[in-house]
Amino acid sequence: MAAGVRDGTLVRAVATSAVRLVLGYGTALTLGIPLGIGLARSRVFKDTAGPVVLGLSSVPSICWLPLAILWFGLSELAIQLVVVLGAALPVAVATENAVRHVTPSIERAARTMGARGARLMFAVTMPAALPGILGGAKLGWTFALRSLMAGELLFVSGGLGQLLETGRDLGDTSLVLAVVVVIVALSRSSEIVLFSPIDRAIARRWGVEEA
Amino acid sequence: MDPQPTSLGAAAISTPGACADANVTLDAVSLTIRGKQGSIEILQSVSLRIAAGEFVCLLGPSGSGKSTILNLVAGLVRPTQGHVRYRAAEVTSPGPDRAMVFQDAALFPWLALRGNVEFPLKLQGLRRTARAARSEELLRLVHLWRFADRYPHELSGGMRQRGAIARALATDPAVLLMDEPFAALDAQTREILQGELERIWTATRKTVIFVTHNVREAVRLADRVVLMATRPGRVLHEEYVDVPRPRAANDARVSSLAAGIARRIASEVEKVAREEADDAWLAPGSRGHSDPRRHLGGGI
Repeated sequence: MAAGVRDGTLVRAVATSAVRLVLGYGTALTLGIPLGIGLARSRVFKDTAGPVVLGLSSVPSICWLPLAILWFGLSELAIQLVVVLGAALPVAVATENAVRHVTPSIERAARTMGARGARLMFAVTMPAALPGILGGAKLGWTFALRSLMAGELLFVSGGLGQLLETGRDLGDTSLVLAVVVVIVALSRSSEIVLFSPIDRAIARRWGVEEA
Repeated sequence: MDPQPTSLGAAAISTPGACADANVTLDAVSLTIRGKQGSIEILQSVSLRIAAGEFVCLLGPSGSGKSTILNLVAGLVRPTQGHVRYRAAEVTSPGPDRAMVFQDAALFPWLALRGNVEFPLKLQGLRRTARAARSEELLRLVHLWRFADRYPHELSGGMRQRGAIARALATDPAVLLMDEPFAALDAQTREILQGELERIWTATRKTVIFVTHNVREAVRLADRVVLMATRPGRVLHEEYVDVPRPRAANDARVSSLAAGIARRIASEVEKVAREEADDAWLAPGSRGHSDPRRHLGGGI
């Protein structure tokens, strides 16, 4: 492991994977959250797109890789597609749930005060659903990481997954284990840096009931 | 205030005095919603005239459409038939002149108390300094100024409800719609809040429509109690409460009026239960009074 760090392969792999992860995850959030809100709020949209989203979200994200390769070739886009699809759908499903389960009296109260349309959505419904949406975002992060690792394993393009594959090819158990340790560290530290502060802030404001 | 305690039936609807400066009017309002098992009649031809500054309690069992009346006046629901008017104008949407207080307070959990009270003012586009002044005034009115920076989950149920009242008063509405606001509170807190509400009402002279299924609470607070019946929801009876204010929680006249209304409700509840339970309820009764077990209480 120390050797990996010293000659730079491990560092480079981590950097490659991290950039992919952040990009793909960001895209997944920007797609998944509006999709979830749409599903929760529009009857027609729910009836048409709802079953599709639910169905697709049950497809393991790595199954998209062949399609992605057909469409985009062995490119960065192909691997991004896998990450985005893997993360956006669970985010959408969680967001839909969160928005749907906002306490009705909270929205009614806002409506009696004259809040409507986009104002109601952004000033009331979204904040009210925030704990649930955040739960979805956390889930999405794990899904993004898993999809990315699976994608990189099957797909030669740098990154941690490929390093794992290299380790296997060389029969280098210590490299494989080192990469696993790095993955664990990556996911734990992102959890601590990214989500714990938000979680704590939410718990402080919303109280225990919804946290 | 109308001094005559009346105990007429539905005929008491257009009481002299209340009619003249009616603030909120329901005119033969019916509401039917289409559910999965066919359509359900929620309200059947309900007519009510509520004077400006009057405190009216809607009292009735669940399913009698009490809360629906509030939603109609608030403009959240439109009637199937009839007219809901506020100051002679048809109610078509919510407005800042009609504010609502809910059983669960419905404070926004992501905002501190101050932010909650300022929320409706923000919607109206009031400036920050004006908002701050108004929220301080209101939080002082409900004795919560010390807790202005607390979040709802840090407050007790009674404090949350007082906060909700402050928020509802923020836009200085003429009508305050209260949907069982004290139902989830313990008995002591409820009595304290009833006293506070009476004080606030005396100070502000809002028109209050207060929904409850607690007879004592209705009589304790109201100028007029409107008794609702269920299935379909309709007005059964109206009663003026001619007891001077401020009323003590254990006022003897309040108690005797409440007892009278409770008797009336009991007979209505029994009627409903008999209809609901159809066979199960009628079968033992149909055996007639000759059945000795009936009197012994056995076998029923």
